[in-house]
Amino acid sequence: MNDIPRFIRWQTPQGSVAIRSRCTTQEIRTLIFDKQFGTHAHYKSLYTRRDSLEKNAALPDADVTLALTDHNHIIGFGVLAYPEPGERWNRLGPRLMMEVKAIEVSRSWRSAGVARGIIQIMMSQPMIEDKIIYMVGYSWTWDLDGAGQSAQAYRRMLIRLFEPCGFQEYQTNEPNICLKPENIMLGRIGRNVTKEQRDSFKWLRFNLLNT
Amino acid sequence: MRYPKEVVLKEGREAVIRPLQKDDEASLRRFYAGIPEGDRWFMRHDVMDPGVIAKWMDEIDKDKVFSIIALSEERIVGHATLHMRKFGSTRHIGRFRLMVLPEFRYIRLGTWLLLDLIQLAMDKGLSEVRSDFVVGIEEAAIEAAHKFDFFEKAVLKDYVKDQQGNHHDLLIMIKRLHKRWGDY
Repeated sequence: MNDIPRFIRWQTPQGSVAIRSRCTTQEIRTLIFDKQFGTHAHYKSLYTRRDSLEKNAALPDADVTLALTDHNHIIGFGVLAYPEPGERWNRLGPRLMMEVKAIEVSRSWRSAGVARGIIQIMMSQPMIEDKIIYMVGYSWTWDLDGAGQSAQAYRRMLIRLFEPCGFQEYQTNEPNICLKPENIMLGRIGRNVTKEQRDSFKWLRFNLLNT
Repeated sequence: MRYPKEVVLKEGREAVIRPLQKDDEASLRRFYAGIPEGDRWFMRHDVMDPGVIAKWMDEIDKDKVFSIIALSEERIVGHATLHMRKFGSTRHIGRFRLMVLPEFRYIRLGTWLLLDLIQLAMDKGLSEVRSDFVVGIEEAAIEAAHKFDFFEKAVLKDYVKDQQGNHHDLLIMIKRLHKRWGDY
């Protein structure tokens, strides 16, 4: 993973932030994790401790992208990594599918376009074109109170967030996604993914892939 | 909502879901001609009357009925509708109707159509959806509704009659559409 700048300045109505991709475990260790990534009524952040980000950064090909204030304060993060062993999405073949495991912005920085910046820099890596990138949205993990939105509005917001980077909604019978109609699977198929792999992805989504 | 939606059914059969369009009239007629007479009997309208489907086509884009179809190899194999009222005490409730060709039943096509209608109803801001089923006739649809947390609101005992004059219960099922955490 190289060639592409790891760092951009991102302008927001609340001021400029630095967005840094492919952060290493050592880099993350020097940063301050915003206290708002914690437990709230009806909502718990995906990662409440900095060392969770550090662990992800150490995984093969993983990309931990951070949004930072000038005081090295982490106010947003995105995590791209291979699915866990045993997950359905591993069955397509080694290192073909990667999951956007988390994308989260501290409550006080929401609606400032920070998440868009994180996704854009994450999806600008060359290896993305060799992969099927996916994200699953489960409504029970969404900060509906913090966002002041209904589940359906939050779902639409996710689509608007990911679509400009080439994601689209995919149907699947994966049981967790099917549990609630507002849950969603979004995917982005890289340019170098073969037709055979695309077809296999379709069968896999409906658990009909013969491996 | 993004269409067309590609779904794979049990046994690997494929279908595409998309909204009904003005130029689907002839295909929709063929679809309903393929529905057994015994099933058509329980519909609210006589779909073999040419005026009925023509009226449905007129209602496209009028914001009162949303019609989606499932296609397999260019043929309509399922049709589902969400009916909404623009006024009055039940404007918060949508009503679903769903029909699937016999050879496409029990392979989850109805489930995918139902899921799509639920998402449509949520997008429209409805708080409940209702669907009525004839007990002993529409078992596949009742099974699909249960999967999506529809619950039995009422049973009208011996309310409808089949063509042979036998009575059947009419089951009214409701699903609440959750919006916020407090609703769960």
